[in-house]
Amino acid sequence: MASATDARYGQKESSDQNFDYMFKILIIGNSSVGKTSFLFRYADDSFTPAFVSTVGIDFKVKTIYRNDKRIKLQIWDTAGQERYRTITTAYYRGAMGFILMYDITNEESFNAVQDWSTQIKTYSWDNAQVLLVGNKCDMEDERVVSSERGRQLADHLGFEFFEASAKDNINVKQTFERLVDVICEKMSESLDTADPAVTGAKQGPQLTDQQAPPHQDCAC
Amino acid sequence: MAQQVSLGSLQESEREAILQVLYRDREVQNTEAERIRNLKTRLQHLRWKGAKSVSQEYKEKSCARCQQTLGLLLNRGAVCQGCSHRVCSECRVFLRRTRAWKCTVCFEDRNVKIKTGDWFFEERAKKFPTEGKHETAGAKLLQSYQKLSNKISVVPPTPPPLSESQCGGGPARLQELGQFKGFNKSVENLFLSVTTHMKKLSKSQNDMTSDKQHPEMVPRQREGRPERRSQSDTAINVTTRAGTPDILKPLGPESPRRPTSPVLKQEDISSSPVLNTSFSGGLRQGSLISINSTCTEMGNFDKADVTGEIEFAIRYCLRTHSLEICIRACKNLAFGEERKKKCNPYVKTYLLPDRSSQGKRKTGVQKNTVEPTFQETLKYQVELAQLASQQLQVSVWHLGVLTRRVFLGEVIVPLATWDFEDRESQSFRWYPLRAKAEKSEDSLPTNNGELAVRAKLVLPAGPRELQEAPEGTGDEPSQNGQLCLVVLGAKNLPVRSDGTLNSFVKGCLTLPDQQRLRLKSPVLKKQACPQWKHSFIFKGVTPSQLRQSSLELTIWDQATFGVNDRFLGGARLGLKEDLPGGAHTSSQAKLQWQKVLSSPNLWTDMTLILH
Repeated sequence: MASATDARYGQKESSDQNFDYMFKILIIGNSSVGKTSFLFRYADDSFTPAFVSTVGIDFKVKTIYRNDKRIKLQIWDTAGQERYRTITTAYYRGAMGFILMYDITNEESFNAVQDWSTQIKTYSWDNAQVLLVGNKCDMEDERVVSSERGRQLADHLGFEFFEASAKDNINVKQTFERLVDVICEKMSESLDTADPAVTGAKQGPQLTDQQAPPHQDCAC
Repeated sequence: MAQQVSLGSLQESEREAILQVLYRDREVQNTEAERIRNLKTRLQHLRWKGAKSVSQEYKEKSCARCQQTLGLLLNRGAVCQGCSHRVCSECRVFLRRTRAWKCTVCFEDRNVKIKTGDWFFEERAKKFPTEGKHETAGAKLLQSYQKLSNKISVVPPTPPPLSESQCGGGPARLQELGQFKGFNKSVENLFLSVTTHMKKLSKSQNDMTSDKQHPEMVPRQREGRPERRSQSDTAINVTTRAGTPDILKPLGPESPRRPTSPVLKQEDISSSPVLNTSFSGGLRQGSLISINSTCTEMGNFDKADVTGEIEFAIRYCLRTHSLEICIRACKNLAFGEERKKKCNPYVKTYLLPDRSSQGKRKTGVQKNTVEPTFQETLKYQVELAQLASQQLQVSVWHLGVLTRRVFLGEVIVPLATWDFEDRESQSFRWYPLRAKAEKSEDSLPTNNGELAVRAKLVLPAGPRELQEAPEGTGDEPSQNGQLCLVVLGAKNLPVRSDGTLNSFVKGCLTLPDQQRLRLKSPVLKKQACPQWKHSFIFKGVTPSQLRQSSLELTIWDQATFGVNDRFLGGARLGLKEDLPGGAHTSSQAKLQWQKVLSSPNLWTDMTLILH
């Protein structure tokens, strides 16, 4: 098990300082909803169908170019299992943004979203940016959570919403980039209200822009 | 699948996996900390360059940043919203896609807040005001983990897969178990203790749905607990062997399924050269000699026979925060020039360990007398608390022709025990003058402050191999690793007269072949207790090489205007016997260094006394 983990996380992180700033992002959600796969798709563009439960916590580093800035993302992948909860919640405080994930083929994982959101409210800072992601949207045949329900819940909780598939690489990059953008917006807001300089192109309306398209690239 | 693995072994691999993640995170955090420090230094420089600050008055019509004179009609300047200074058009930065602007310093300030993530910490502080700024969850977990491993003086690597049915027996074994009870806590429990305060906040935690995919997880976990515990115990036994050879003996034969191999391994260990040096070397004491008793005039004076006495009083003025030495008189001084019966005495003082010229105070010179009367007060601006680590050196000198100086005697008063409240101790007293203490008689090593460092030997091998290394396969000389050293900070340094330093650290690793690897930290300006948090990484070194190497860390005060950098103090780390007459490693440092070398991939914190 350890060796499997080692192999997967074996690459060295880039330790160069060639970036403008660093964001810390946490991926949370029930066990087996696809958090690790989602991260691997994004960071390494790889996908393994085999399920290996994450031990406690893990992270990957990816530097992206966004709004004329090089942003280093330290993306924390957490174990969904209850037994690791004390470890994983310790990381909530350091995170600027969250990806809260459920599995569209798993009702229980969707029902737990409310609880996860409470966890964020409890452990994280007040302006924590959260994106709700319904993963495995490639498995339309086994879908039990409609995207409408997902969207409604997201609206209710005040999160933005995407449906995605780590396996088919649907909306993965978009999810992370959107999260980076909303964190940038929060950052500008906290530094000087009504100063959108840092976020660059993204102006106010983007926040409420429900067109932000979960289905745009999604065939399902 | 993961859950098929027996929980006992899962426990070990869990700990291993999580630790690996924590280490990787630490690397990232270290890099980040360095980047942030650089950013802040740059901002500081910019601030200094931009001359105007809020507190000072300036000529009305000039730019606060470049000092260019502003006109009445053209280039009148405008007030920056951030700092309320009037700046010229050149010193404004327009925020992107807006007409709003900030002056260069405010803009940079804002930039730094973005780049360092300070904006986030400020926001977060609104909800968690007590949270340390850059303290990450990972760092906290690691810290608590290391605290635990420190307590039991072993590193917790992976134990070899010993039999799970191993049960303790015999009083010695039981005692051992009791001794290392702390270790029995699984990683989870450890984490639990770290995060209990967080847990208090949420009761909803338990409401979370448990994992659907592993319904058997919970009961199995319970069953597995005693089994896991015994696994942890074996882990201790194995690692303990490396640390405390004495309690080894009853251990080996206790393992029922592996009666032979542990014994063999045990022998390997007790004959390991590493341990021997560690424990015999650790007892060396008393030979602490200062490596830096370079008195500024050391080589540059004559000696007379020392006779006579000096009368002075010491008091501390709380109002002005100054130490006052009232030099009244001397009697029976030796002649500075015996043949000519000539003596032009004066008195000089230092607050040791600072022997720099800034710490020097002198009286006037009295002409042609061996019974001079000075009636002068020499003052030091110094905090009372700081005096505890200092010694007052009062020396008498003869000033000859052509500024040739002759040493007439000295008095050294340790201030640590000096009662400044007591009247008696404030009154004038006669002190017999003494000759300069010979180096070897110098019982108190000069303490030039303390340096906090954190060191780790990084070996590329997987954790399992690491574990085996002290088990008997020995130190593979082929293991190419690197020595990571984080110079955290220093305190109680001999500061300049203004109470600050522009200090930096030099690291020099001398390999067995006398090859020297040198590294240097950036200069931290105007700080008495610098916190460099700078990493030195010595690459391509093997553990066996390091055992024969020595690492010297020296702290310097950067020179201004081309004068030589001032040496503030240094410390040496190494296991080898001290070079004759050279620098030495204190016994405590030696033990800590030993720990670094014997526990690869784990950070060891050390506080080094600077000499």
